[in-house]
Amino acid sequence: MAGAAKRVRRASRPRLTHPALVLPLLAYLAAFYAYPVAAMMFRSIAEPHWTLDNFRKIVETPVFLYVLWLTFRIAFVVTIAALLLGFPVAYLLARIDRTKSNLLMMLVLLPFWTSILVRTYAWMVLLGREGIVNQFLLWIGATDAPIRLLNTTFAVYVAMVHILLPFMILPLYSVIRGIDGNLMRAAEGLGATPLGVFRQIVLPLSLPGIAAGCLLVFILALGFFITPALVGGPRDLMIAVLIQQQVELFNWPFASALAVLLLASALLAFAAIAKRLGLEEAIGRAAR
Amino acid sequence: MRDDRQLLDFLFSLSEQSPHAADYTRRNFLRLAARLGLGVGAAAAFSRMLGPPLALAAAPPALPEITSIPDRLKGSGVVRVCSYGGAFQDAQRKAYFEPFERLSGIKVIESQGPDPVKLKAMVDTKNVEYDVGEFDRASVINLEKKGDYWEPIDYSLVDTANIDKAFQYKYALDMLPYAQTYAYRADVFKEAKPQSWADFWDTKKFPGPRTMPAGSGGLTPFLEAAVLAEGAPMDKIYPIDIDKAYASLAKIKPAVVKWWEAGAVPAQMLNDKEVVMGVAWNGRIAAIQANGAPVEIGWRQGALRTDAWAVPKGAANRDNAMKFTAFITMPIPQARLSMLIPYGFVNNVAAEHLPAERLAVLPTAPAIKKQMFIYDSQWWADNRDKVIERWSSWLLQ
Repeated sequence: MAGAAKRVRRASRPRLTHPALVLPLLAYLAAFYAYPVAAMMFRSIAEPHWTLDNFRKIVETPVFLYVLWLTFRIAFVVTIAALLLGFPVAYLLARIDRTKSNLLMMLVLLPFWTSILVRTYAWMVLLGREGIVNQFLLWIGATDAPIRLLNTTFAVYVAMVHILLPFMILPLYSVIRGIDGNLMRAAEGLGATPLGVFRQIVLPLSLPGIAAGCLLVFILALGFFITPALVGGPRDLMIAVLIQQQVELFNWPFASALAVLLLASALLAFAAIAKRLGLEEAIGRAAR
Repeated sequence: MRDDRQLLDFLFSLSEQSPHAADYTRRNFLRLAARLGLGVGAAAAFSRMLGPPLALAAAPPALPEITSIPDRLKGSGVVRVCSYGGAFQDAQRKAYFEPFERLSGIKVIESQGPDPVKLKAMVDTKNVEYDVGEFDRASVINLEKKGDYWEPIDYSLVDTANIDKAFQYKYALDMLPYAQTYAYRADVFKEAKPQSWADFWDTKKFPGPRTMPAGSGGLTPFLEAAVLAEGAPMDKIYPIDIDKAYASLAKIKPAVVKWWEAGAVPAQMLNDKEVVMGVAWNGRIAAIQANGAPVEIGWRQGALRTDAWAVPKGAANRDNAMKFTAFITMPIPQARLSMLIPYGFVNNVAAEHLPAERLAVLPTAPAIKKQMFIYDSQWWADNRDKVIERWSSWLLQ
């Protein structure tokens, strides 16, 4: 019986992995993603006529590169903060028993299902002059007058880290969960200190998860728009705001050139992180 | 389901550019918050943050009734109208759409979010989704310069006898005047009150953080205020010397903690004392005042701006859109809206249908209107690109 079942499964396998199965998705991506992106790239060099003027203008106007740099800096800080906060959570989730970890996972996922605007707004409530954070600081006597927390770069970091944290925790969790616990026990048995176990076993084996999490967070952070506009200070400009500004001015070719620049930067970041931290392995591990 | 949609509308409207986009009654919000499972405390904090919503009175005010319209405005079929959603559009429905449907026989189909960028794409691809939309005049002129995007207003239908010439334009008919001006915390400035833009700029006499409109998110920086702060008289604002205006704006820049992109933001910041003074739209301030916030509006040297109806080129129900536009600028529909929301009217006869105490808080009340200057949309349509191009570098200097 068992042998027969195995044969049936084996026989049906080629059909289920037929390459044609990805065609609907490919067609969808071609129509709704590849074509618009290609049209945008085309527009950046082909309107009103063939020219690289749009890109020349970006390079020659300091503000665009400077804002791109600001955008990268914010994305970088947010990524590092999300990693430092997310790693212990992911590690805990992966190491405790299933029932507890499922419960905790819900707490990670709940905010994930809430709109970005709602969560940004929640931070405006918390960080305001009369918000809970300031009232607490006043109550414990840490400050005499409310401090400005809202409308600062700090608020941008806080809100963005909160919004992006699940994108860090989820890939980390899946990778750390896959680490064989025996390796750690063996290392302990051979006299490694907890720090040694972490440095020599946990950290290297979770690198693919770190890579995937950092990539997701970094690339999503590059395109942030509403959150910095609502909680940021006067100088927290991100490149998406400048792109929208150009769209409003009907400078669509120039807006396209800025978008191409952002896309290229994201791809470069992707390539750099993937190479450095071994993303292929993370993808391979997830596939397994 | 509908409540969820309303909440989303509200939240999205935070990023809208219109003065009227995002408004919500506190009670409505608390009910929604309860649905979302927020605790009472959180909901209350949240609602305080959201601040006030448009002062849609608790008991709806008695509206003047309109009982007949000229035959030329009657018809059949539909008109697709695009406005800013939320409580604002609810008020428009009561003030304009319902009597129009009843008297003209033309059914109004509503949508939300008029956007000149999207309109250009709609006309370019001949896929025009609405017949008439609410825009500011500068964006109508701006698009007009890019090509043939608007249907000319049919003035043979409009009774223009009591509508100022300034409100009439070939491709748009103004329907909603509002003030863009300064407002301040009355509990901070108890004795001397700011009276002018020079006072707004004076951080020694009136210390504290401020907020002003940004040059991004579809908005323009308030260069007129910068010019007036330097001492120019109101009739010498235009044409604005952009260099000088930016230089003047730079003087107040250190005190500006937020350059806002959404009309909800300054009202909220004043409400929560995040700032002591800010540039805002008058309807928003009326809303926080109704909510009990000790905030006052300075009308002197404020800008009188307007929104207008405009009909996109190739609109399927063009004729009905023209009838709709003509109806809304009649005195009673104008007065009905001013009763619901403290924005002004373009038809001077509307004043006869408004009680004196209401008239006193409207930007088009004669005593208030004469303290303000008329915002020059034509100048902005001609110079917006130049001003905006410099905004980001100026901001980061």
